[in-house]
Amino acid sequence: MIALPSSSGSIRRRVALVLSALLCSCVLVPRAVAQTAGIERLTVAIPGYENNLTPFTVSFLSLPNTHDLLTLVYDTLFWSQNDKDPEPWLAESATPSADRKQWTVKLRSGITWHDGKPFTADDVKFSFDYYATYPGASGRYAHHAADTPPYDRAEIVDAQTVRLFFKASAPTFPILPGGDLPMIPKHIWESVKEPVKYTALPIGTGPFKMVEAITDQGYRLEANPSYFKGNVLVKKLDLVVIREPTVAFAALRSGEVDHVARNAPAELIGPLTNTKGVKLMTGTRNESVQMLFNARRPPFDDAAVRKGISLAIDNQRIVEAVLLGRAKPGNDNFIHPDSPWALPGSSHENDLTKSRRILDEAGYELKSNSRVNAKGIKIEFDILVSSFEPQQVRTAQLISSQLQQIGVKANVEPIDPATLRQRRAVVAGKIPDYDAYMSILESHAHVDPDGLYYFFHSPGTRGFGAAVTGYSNAAFDSLAEKAVIENDPLVREQELFDMQRILIAEMPVIVLYYPEAVYATRDVYTGWFADPGHGIFTKRSFIAGENTARKAPTTVKAVAPTSAPATTTAPPTTGPPRNTTTIKPVKPVKPTKKKKKTTNSRP
Amino acid sequence: MTFRYAARCVVRSFSVLFVAIVVNFALPRLAPGNAIDYLVPPEQAASLSADQRLAVIRQFGLEQSTMQQFVRYVTRLAHGDLLLSIRYARPVRTLLAERLPWTLLLVGTSLMIALFVGAVLGFGAAWRRGSPRDVVSMIVVVAVDSMPVFFVGMMLLFVFAVKLRWFPVFGATRFGAQSSGIGSIGTVLQRLVLPAATLVLAQVGSVYLAARSAMVGELREDYVTFAVAKGLPPKMVRAHARRNSLAPVVTMGLVSLGTLVGGATVVETVFSYPGVGRLIFDSVLARDYPVIQGTFFVLSLTVILANLAGDLLAPLLDRRAMARVDS
Repeated sequence: MIALPSSSGSIRRRVALVLSALLCSCVLVPRAVAQTAGIERLTVAIPGYENNLTPFTVSFLSLPNTHDLLTLVYDTLFWSQNDKDPEPWLAESATPSADRKQWTVKLRSGITWHDGKPFTADDVKFSFDYYATYPGASGRYAHHAADTPPYDRAEIVDAQTVRLFFKASAPTFPILPGGDLPMIPKHIWESVKEPVKYTALPIGTGPFKMVEAITDQGYRLEANPSYFKGNVLVKKLDLVVIREPTVAFAALRSGEVDHVARNAPAELIGPLTNTKGVKLMTGTRNESVQMLFNARRPPFDDAAVRKGISLAIDNQRIVEAVLLGRAKPGNDNFIHPDSPWALPGSSHENDLTKSRRILDEAGYELKSNSRVNAKGIKIEFDILVSSFEPQQVRTAQLISSQLQQIGVKANVEPIDPATLRQRRAVVAGKIPDYDAYMSILESHAHVDPDGLYYFFHSPGTRGFGAAVTGYSNAAFDSLAEKAVIENDPLVREQELFDMQRILIAEMPVIVLYYPEAVYATRDVYTGWFADPGHGIFTKRSFIAGENTARKAPTTVKAVAPTSAPATTTAPPTTGPPRNTTTIKPVKPVKPTKKKKKTTNSRP
Repeated sequence: MTFRYAARCVVRSFSVLFVAIVVNFALPRLAPGNAIDYLVPPEQAASLSADQRLAVIRQFGLEQSTMQQFVRYVTRLAHGDLLLSIRYARPVRTLLAERLPWTLLLVGTSLMIALFVGAVLGFGAAWRRGSPRDVVSMIVVVAVDSMPVFFVGMMLLFVFAVKLRWFPVFGATRFGAQSSGIGSIGTVLQRLVLPAATLVLAQVGSVYLAARSAMVGELREDYVTFAVAKGLPPKMVRAHARRNSLAPVVTMGLVSLGTLVGGATVVETVFSYPGVGRLIFDSVLARDYPVIQGTFFVLSLTVILANLAGDLLAPLLDRRAMARVDS
């Protein structure tokens, strides 16, 4: 304790003044955002082994985590594709030409690959060229260099600047391919002529470098000490493969793993909530489970039949019965409601009377409890479903029982994934061998502004369209073709909305539910961050500064079509406080009683 | 034993092996699905040109006709090469070398324990047949034997790993740890307990029933009645009957030898154990032909060699068999 000299009033006053000033500074000066403490080791259970973690060799057995696993090691020019206005990441800025066919990308300086070599414009050019050269080696990624948008060539302006040329307008370049395509090092891959056979450890610029890949058991990663976005908070990240969900969550409860990178099953929410040291968090993953019709095989080539069936499906009841209420019922516009491109106010219409009327009008009359038209074609079909997805099998069974009410017979056919792949494969000149099948899609399908094109455009050489549904609609095609090159974001948005309205009317796919993203973690690490569209197991959760705040909005306006080209730039590293995303604890919910309303409306 | 007999056994075994190679090659290709669909998923198929598709599948020789692939497989096999896995892009031989030791450890340990425990319990129950202890042991063993392996594994895991925390939940060793030294042996054994116990519980019932049945039959034989009548101590009577009852138990053990290499898919899945069973299962799902035919080749080879050894050893062990061979 300091004794103040009583003889000197002025000294006392001065000291009191200083103490008051200190006190005021403590009270009035805003406190810095609390920093997450780093930890030495974190163990995460992943659902499948992804092979060598490169864009050309991943097996996608760990979906929907594949992209997030890959981008722990690799980086993209922007982050992330789930944002309408992604944050510049490896790029510092990207400036488009007036027609959006050229993008000049300026890279951040001082970035190095994990082996210490500098990351330069040459690597960006090489990455685009390499993906375009080997489109079959990495279809998931390469098609964003081959046709979304159609890449032409690149020109190196200087060591930190590259100009990318596209054959058509690329208005959403920062989203795709900027926010999706992992950049690969030229000095490693230029000698690789068979990328699908690459077995050496991956070298990226990402927050973690791969130390060891143990076949079918997992990966050992270590923090990249010179990561350009900030300090990596987890020094050692062990990713262990535990295929069986019950076992993965048992390992979490026993403390052997700190996080399970998959949605917590509804039936485990209760036990996990009561486990000491375990907490549950919500995030957004933008997944969907849907039933897709073969729109090239009668009677599903008739939009009225598809719409009639959709109207008879009560997906609210499916969510309650199969997922114990832990999902959002699917919307008829297909796009996930959390996606920035979703048609506002969309819902699913469940109306048996309307369903019967539409089928009657389409000529499918009810005879002996089955729907038959004048040509004798019955509405009777098989739903192919992976036998490894019990929730989907159960969902298909419920659909089958619901459709009996309108005289439609649906047979559930659980088959192994390889047979399912073959049955729905498109062979040139042939109609695929299925009536309908069930699938799960990750956020990439719902955030991609061109996704609607790829899933629903008429069969053609570009994209997936034919392979997924075989759906064909001239009005939809016209809108899709305009939207992918539309430089005005507002016009483009309206076109995307119009495309969704056509889907609502014609239902080539019925989204049954959007699984709820609930994640379980142990409280050994506090840096988890719910990155929109990525859940919490994503690179932002491990980077100091990135995991406590959302990025400040960057400018979509910069890509206005008619004004002078502007630049999408990185937010300042110091500046105004960023918005934070709150991760809410989750309580188990009881299934609600059977709803009485016939229409589900969600904002 | 004549040279002719031995040569005949060897030729017969090689013929069986060749048939096995043909069947192992053909079956995965006859099943629905295709390795090409794994390499080029349906979503991408439409966007690739024929040349681009060819460039991908050529890397694994899948562009060749089935006969060409078979000739290539057999030729490489003669050189000891099991080809390259389509899924892992790694040699099948390496994949098997990584997993076989774990499978031999897990399945071998559990098989030995199951045979020993099942035989001891079965012989004991037969001696006390009809008693309450026999009835209780029969009910318990049959009940355990009827439980699905998955269920038993999950129960053991929940009780001993999650609740009591006596054992780890997953893996054959600590993740990323070097498997050498005394400490590692302890870790490996600790992690072996639950999966091995699950397999023992799955197997012990059938051994118990076989041993009990054989012993009950043996105890009805005249020589046993005579031994009891002449006042031989029960311990000695049991010893005589037990020796003659061992045959079905030993047969069961030999028949199970195939599973030593084939692994135990369900237990490996539940405990994330890196064995051959799970490798086969995942390879079947991906239609990874080289891995499927490679693992089944090793499996077939093991069983055929065991049978060959049995054929060659039988005359040496049993004089009556030798006499038949000589005649």
